[in-house]
Amino acid sequence: MRCVVRAGPPSAHALGLAATGLTLLVAAAVLPLDAPPLSLFACPFRAATSLPCLSCGCTHAFAAVARLHPLDAVAASPLGALAAFACAVHAVWTALRLCGFRYAPANFPVTPRVRLGAAAMLVLNWAFLVLRGAP
Amino acid sequence: MLARCPSCRSTFSTERAGPQDCPACGKPLVVPDVPGAVPPGTQSPLQAGAPPPEEQGTPWEQRAEIGAWRAWWETLVQALFEPGRLFRSARLDRGAAQTGFAVLTVSVPWFVGQMLDRFLLRPWTQRLMERLGASGPFAPLLQKLAAAGHGNSPRTTVLVALLAPLLVVVGLYVNAAVTHLAAVLLGQAKRGFAATFAACAYACAPLVLLAIPGCGFLVGAVWTAVLTGVGLKETHRIQPGGAAAAVLAPYALLCCAACALTMLGGVVAGAVPQ
Repeated sequence: MRCVVRAGPPSAHALGLAATGLTLLVAAAVLPLDAPPLSLFACPFRAATSLPCLSCGCTHAFAAVARLHPLDAVAASPLGALAAFACAVHAVWTALRLCGFRYAPANFPVTPRVRLGAAAMLVLNWAFLVLRGAP
Repeated sequence: MLARCPSCRSTFSTERAGPQDCPACGKPLVVPDVPGAVPPGTQSPLQAGAPPPEEQGTPWEQRAEIGAWRAWWETLVQALFEPGRLFRSARLDRGAAQTGFAVLTVSVPWFVGQMLDRFLLRPWTQRLMERLGASGPFAPLLQKLAAAGHGNSPRTTVLVALLAPLLVVVGLYVNAAVTHLAAVLLGQAKRGFAATFAACAYACAPLVLLAIPGCGFLVGAVWTAVLTGVGLKETHRIQPGGAAAAVLAPYALLCCAACALTMLGGVVAGAVPQ
C-alpha cells in the first residue's frame, strides 16, 4: 500500500488545520506553564474526581514538543505528544505543498480493527496518566 | 454537476468534467463526462431518499446574489430555528465562506460581550465569582480566576477582544478536528472533514449570545452542541444516534480545546504590559 499519492495544492481546510496546529505550537512555546493564564486552567474532571481526564497533560505535551523535548512530551501525555507531533508534521508538509511539493499522505481505510486500535490507545493513554499522576 | 471524491467521499459541484482536484481534500480525481451515468429510472446514491435541491448553498454561500447582511441574517435565523434545512443546503466546497460566517457570528458578539463585561459589569461578576469560589470542588480555580480578573488591565481586555477572530478560527478548527476524529472512530464520518466542518461552522450561530455577559456563553454553548449534532446528521447523512454520539464523545476531551484557547489568550495577555 502506498503511503503518499500525487496531489494538487493543499485545500482550504488543509491550510486552516496547518495554521491552527502551528498557532497552538507557537503559543505552547511562548507561554510559561506556571504563570497565568495557563496556570489558571484546571481540569474540571480532575477537580471533581481526582482522576485525570483523557486529555490531561496535553498542554504540557504540546509545550514540550514545541520546546523540542520529546521525551518530556511523551511522559506528560503520549497521546498529546502524538497530536502535537502530528500538528508539526502537517504544518511542515502543507508548507512544502504550497512551495510546489506534489505529494500528500494517502487515505487509509478506517476499518473496525483500526477503530478498535484507536480506542485501545485512548484507554492505554488514560491508564498511563492515572498510574503516573498526570501534570 | 455534482461529483463525489473517491478519496474523502465529499460531494462538490463542478462546472466541467474531466481530471481535477477535489476542493475538499485536494486529491486528484476524474469527473465522468455524463453525470447521469445512472441507469434511467433509478436514483443516484446521493439523491436516494434526499430532497433534490440539497446542497444548493446556504444564504450565506449565496451572499453575492442576495447581499451580505441579508445573507448573514437569513443564515443565522435558519441555523437557530430551521437547522435541518440549513445544514441540508450547505455546500461542502465552501469551507472559506463557512469560516467567514463563524468568525463574523462569534467574534463580533464576543467583542461586544467582553466590552460590556469589562467596563460595565466587572464588579458584579467578580463578586459572583468570589462567592461561587468560596467552597466546592472548583473553589481554587474560581478563586484564581477572580484574582486574575482583578489584575486584568483594560488594554489587555481590548487586545484580547480584537484578536477574537483569530481565536475563533483556531477554536473552530480544533472543534471540527476533534469532532471529526470522534465521528471517524465511531464510523459516522461518511462524507469527509468538509462535512464535519460545515456542521461545526454553522452550529456556531447560537454563540451570537456571547453579546450577553454572564449567561450568554452557557446558553450558546449548549445550543451549539445540539446544533452540531443536527448538522452532523444532515451533512454526513447519518442516523440521529450516531450524530449525537459523535458530538458528545469529544466533550470528554473538552480540556484539550479549552487549553488551546487559554494558550492563545495567554499569548495576547503576555504580550501586553500590565
